[in-house]
Amino acid sequence: MLSKQELKSESAESWGHGSLPFVLEDDISKQALLLTELSKKVINMGQLRRIASQGIPDGAGIRSTVWKLLLGYLAPDRSLWSSELAKKRSQYKHFKEELLMNPSEIARRLEKTTVLNNDNGKSESRCVLSRSEITHGEHPLSLGKSSVWNQFFQDSEIIEQIDRDVKRTHPDLHFFSGDSSLAKSNQDALRTILTVFAKLNPGIRYVQGMNEILAPLFYILKNDPDEEMAACAEADTFFCFVELLSGFRDHFCQQLDNSVVGIRSTITRLSQLLKEHDEELWRHLEITTKVNPQFYAFRWITLLLTQEFNFADSLHIWDTLLSDPEGPQGSSLYHSLAKYFDEHLYLYGWKRWHTFGKMAPLWFHLLATSLFNIGLK
Amino acid sequence: MEMPRRALLKVIVLGDSGVGKTSLMNQYVYKKFSQQYKATIGADFVTKEVQIDAKLVTLQIWDTAGQERFQSLGSAFYRGADCCVLVYDVNIQKSFEILNNWHKEFVKQADPVDPEAFPFILFGNKIDVDGGSSRVVSEKTAREWCASRGDIPYFETSAKEGYNVHEAFLCVAKMALAGEHEQEHDIYFPGISETVSEVEQRGGCAC
Repeated sequence: MLSKQELKSESAESWGHGSLPFVLEDDISKQALLLTELSKKVINMGQLRRIASQGIPDGAGIRSTVWKLLLGYLAPDRSLWSSELAKKRSQYKHFKEELLMNPSEIARRLEKTTVLNNDNGKSESRCVLSRSEITHGEHPLSLGKSSVWNQFFQDSEIIEQIDRDVKRTHPDLHFFSGDSSLAKSNQDALRTILTVFAKLNPGIRYVQGMNEILAPLFYILKNDPDEEMAACAEADTFFCFVELLSGFRDHFCQQLDNSVVGIRSTITRLSQLLKEHDEELWRHLEITTKVNPQFYAFRWITLLLTQEFNFADSLHIWDTLLSDPEGPQGSSLYHSLAKYFDEHLYLYGWKRWHTFGKMAPLWFHLLATSLFNIGLK
Repeated sequence: MEMPRRALLKVIVLGDSGVGKTSLMNQYVYKKFSQQYKATIGADFVTKEVQIDAKLVTLQIWDTAGQERFQSLGSAFYRGADCCVLVYDVNIQKSFEILNNWHKEFVKQADPVDPEAFPFILFGNKIDVDGGSSRVVSEKTAREWCASRGDIPYFETSAKEGYNVHEAFLCVAKMALAGEHEQEHDIYFPGISETVSEVEQRGGCAC
């Protein structure tokens, strides 16, 4: 077991870029523990979660595998991995072929089927379909709801939105942004994953912010030192994204905003948790300054804290979030947040608080003002 | 002697995703343009002090998310607004057509005392793109829409080049001040603008 003191050293490392020898030792021992766990025939998930929740060392190259396990994409039994992965990857390939085909291709295939059917009836083959044989529903100007073209025009709005947001995903990181072929192919992968997801989930489709949730997953999987894994990062990320979102997809659904599973009630629960955890801070926000929790908590929750910290730090936060046995949802999200604030913000945040402020002005104002007013912890 | 109370004016910026709301705000407040803004999720605000005639006012400008999905979450942000800025991209027809929707949704959710008299303003942004050749919404069309909405003021802007941005927001400040109503704002921290400028000065080296 790692002691509380060691846990704090880990935090100091991830927050302060410290290079104290005991911190490195801690990282090495954690890495050894994780590697031992990962080499078992059947991985003990409880044990893996416990170690991973304290942060996965950056240099070990195992975050990709650990996250896949934590998200339930890889089974604890290692002997199942290769067949399961092969199955999923082929399923994704199938999704792409089926869902990303453009309407003229669908129309062409329909046409081909019709010709073939006709051929069966009459022996003489014809290359050109007469006009009347193009079904009304599949004409580009058809207004029929079932028309592939109508669907196409509806989709194109979502596709444009996805494109706009993919282009502004981590514009400060070369991996995602710029004119390099690396950035371009990574953007293509994000675009494809989000489009396939939107088509498979017509009730949610694409909501702004999904790109921010997807980016860390793809970044980690694509940078897997195992080349075969890295090559299949797009397919694997798709399924990890689905797993991750399954816990809180309702937050993205407008129709559920006022329901118990919607974003509003999640925000209320977060506020209640803050009250239990730190009544003084809660009182200051809620009563003295009358700050609506929606002002600060909406983005925290929908984006799983990805826009509040720099990218490297948010990966460490995700180690904790994803390690929670209940997933990054339910009460665990709030506890992770609370724990995070407790351990990181109060203890270490002050060194870098102006950095927080630059990235999240509102959050900065809230906390800076609140904490200054009630005195440092 | 009693110190005069400094007016805090709350301004909401609305419009379709990608029309340049964040860029306009940042151009106005920090005089900077970047291609690198992330999509706004939820809402953010910046503050700026403006002198109007002899009066010093603090503009609290709220930037919002552009996707329609977020409209229903607006009420918390819209309440207590003194002016609403609608933004569209002159190169994208849909961003203009959807203005009716934003207008209606704001009135519904902000629930101003007198919706007819509430100060709206329209910005037609990105007039710099392709030297104006990819423009699809003409100034005339935009002005006609403004006239049909009770003669709301209209500004053509380029957040990228800083064109007309200052003038447009000055008009916002004047309108907000003229219609300022006595009510408690949802959020205001005294001293917040000082904190903002402090952060800004540290700016580039903070990471």
